[in-house]
Amino acid sequence: MTFQVIVFYSFAAWVVFSALMVITSKNSVKAALFLVLTFASASVIWLLLEAEFLALSLIVVYVGAVMVLLLFVVMMMDIDYAALRQGFVKKLPFAIAASLAFFALLYFFITHGEFSAVHFAQPEAKSADYSNIKELGRVMYTDYVIAFETAAVILLVAIISAIALTFRGRKHRKAQVISKQLAANKRNRLKIVSMDAVVEEPVSQVNDVEEEGEDK
Amino acid sequence: MADSVNYSIISSEIFLLIALCVIMLVDLFQRDKERKLTFMLTQGSLLTLFIMGVQDLGVQETIGFSGHWIQDQFAVVLKLAIYLTAFISLLYARPFIRERNLMRGEYYLLTLFSILGMMIMVSANSLLVVYLGLELLSLSLYALVALQRDSNDASEAAVKYFVMGGLASGFLLYGISLVYGMTGSILIDEVANYIAVSGANLMIQFGLVFIVVGISFKFGAAPFHMWLPDIYHGSPSSITAYISSVPKIAAFGMAFRVLESSFGGADIHWTPMIMIVAMLSVIVGNIVALIQTNLKRMLSYSAIAHIGYFLLGLSIGTDEAYAASMFYIIVYALMTLAGFGIIIFMSSDKNDYQQISDLRGMGRYHPWYALMFTIIMISMAGIPPLIGFWPKLEIFRLLVINDHVLAAVVAIAFSVVGLVYYLKVVKEMYFTEATDSPNVSNSRSLKIAISVNCLLLVIFGLMPDRIYYYCLSAFTSLN
Amino acid sequence: MIGLSDYLLLSAVLFSISIAGIIINRKNVITLLMCIELMLLAVNTNFIAFSHFLQDSAGQIFVFFILTVAAAEAAIGLAIIVVLFRNRATIDVDKINQLKG
Repeated sequence: MTFQVIVFYSFAAWVVFSALMVITSKNSVKAALFLVLTFASASVIWLLLEAEFLALSLIVVYVGAVMVLLLFVVMMMDIDYAALRQGFVKKLPFAIAASLAFFALLYFFITHGEFSAVHFAQPEAKSADYSNIKELGRVMYTDYVIAFETAAVILLVAIISAIALTFRGRKHRKAQVISKQLAANKRNRLKIVSMDAVVEEPVSQVNDVEEEGEDK
Repeated sequence: MADSVNYSIISSEIFLLIALCVIMLVDLFQRDKERKLTFMLTQGSLLTLFIMGVQDLGVQETIGFSGHWIQDQFAVVLKLAIYLTAFISLLYARPFIRERNLMRGEYYLLTLFSILGMMIMVSANSLLVVYLGLELLSLSLYALVALQRDSNDASEAAVKYFVMGGLASGFLLYGISLVYGMTGSILIDEVANYIAVSGANLMIQFGLVFIVVGISFKFGAAPFHMWLPDIYHGSPSSITAYISSVPKIAAFGMAFRVLESSFGGADIHWTPMIMIVAMLSVIVGNIVALIQTNLKRMLSYSAIAHIGYFLLGLSIGTDEAYAASMFYIIVYALMTLAGFGIIIFMSSDKNDYQQISDLRGMGRYHPWYALMFTIIMISMAGIPPLIGFWPKLEIFRLLVINDHVLAAVVAIAFSVVGLVYYLKVVKEMYFTEATDSPNVSNSRSLKIAISVNCLLLVIFGLMPDRIYYYCLSAFTSLN
Repeated sequence: MIGLSDYLLLSAVLFSISIAGIIINRKNVITLLMCIELMLLAVNTNFIAFSHFLQDSAGQIFVFFILTVAAAEAAIGLAIIVVLFRNRATIDVDKINQLKG
């Protein structure tokens, strides 16, 4: 039990610290990396709550795919972070006050309402052969089939709109095609033309200038 | 629970999804720049859905899919309204997007996806499915707003819409999580049972605050409307017409399912919150609309005011009042479509029409359309023979009957304020000297769409009881 | 002993931090996107804690779908940000503001 307490508080501290760093980081790349840290520590908290499947999918799917996508986009853009920070300090006191007030409200309701320890007893720990994935999988395709189908459509919309928004047709890239290079022979590259020798007649300088003047 | 899988109650959704896949594939192999076939197929599937919906009128309430899905008269009527308004909005959109390089298959696809999302929202019987339908709708709309990729304004509007929508979902979900913690279920029926048995305790009330905030964000009601005018202003006009009208009908469905079906037993806790939001929307919307010189912004603020009147109906909390607000939201969608239709009609090739002053001389050079616009404005202002008047009257009457006299007085006072800016547009058309003829679109389909839409406003205005009858039937069958 | 309220307080802290982040980072859209992700993380933690203490799988299923939707939302959001950046060469939403009028 004490081990769980230590794990909870240390990782909760990581969650809070890295979440704070996300919102205060000057650079979006840093913020994204701190967000990864937040997710990773949160997944440990989820493991404490016996939600193994979700904790792992948070790491694999969320950190592994979504955050990497976000990092790609952030790095692709050349952002002037200094300009974006204007007014940051000015808004800070208001932001701190608002979020503290908000937290105080939540704190009051959570500790005084029906969610305090008196009303919710600690559940029994699951047996060792209990499978969280089996439990979720059993209901996913039966009771929640309509939600599952809707989620599938949502992913389809995401694909369509991401393509519609960012794809601008195929570009003709200047990539190296090695087979073409090897197949090339002398005739492709070099053309020998036989010409008669041309003997230029000497032209006076004055005429040249006059002609140019006329052209203009 | 195999017996609860009853596919007949989601036949419309299955049809739309299949139609979507077919349209997607057909569009892929089309060389036609005009996308005529895609357009035809889209409108054709909307018409088919409408016919399917009409046959469903008067259905028995059926719950299926382990309690996650409900088919009832309420859902059928709202879906019919959604098909109708979406159909009109696509008619408006066609000439507009042709001139702006927006004529891409995705425009129709995303519209259809958002319609699917709305259908799921109004038929959902669990908080999970409500949320998923809402996200399907919102995600399609974000992409739709950003579809005009080269426009600065559109991409800015899309970003703002996205952030606002994300914030709203966050609040809504936090509220839902608290409710789930208290009731132990995400099914609407079981939440309602829990409240009927144990009443609304402190945590339920607290969760309700978040849910109301989330819903108000989605409606764009007053204290949460910050970016809404920017979004409506920045989006391409045809998309503004769509996002400001059709999704509101579905949002009403969602509000009803979440607030009344789940928390009907605790309505003394959420109706005052909705009332405050409604009053603020009426006041802010009408006052700020007064000082706008840009017609699109003026209509955005007037949309906020209309949402306020509609929420007033929701805050009364009787079946009759729900029917009245349903009536209001359907009529509102028709009027808003027509209102933004003006902007589409006046926009020329490269020049987006915006200012009220551009309407000068309409009365002299295009008397028929000036008359149409007058009808729209007067209907929005709520002057008797037109349709806009009836739902407003009904809501004010119910407010007075249910002892909300103060709210009724304020709402009526601000509706008089509203008269000023609507009539300002009419005055600009007829009584301000113009130097030359104002610019209008010469697309035939657009002229027909505007005329039909306005005539609908007149005809419905002469016999409002037909629509109202269906709205009432949606609620009498519930009990 | 870690009670339900401890988990809820953790998610309340996350939620408040994300609200503060939205207020101070009004200009930087990418950080706004991250703040929304943080907000969803708070909601998810809430759901999982309830699911654990109620011994009910519905909460975990809900989180599964929220994760799916959030992934889709991130994809679309990033696409929109890319479009904005191409047009503006900045991700500052308040830069050109025609709000007045």
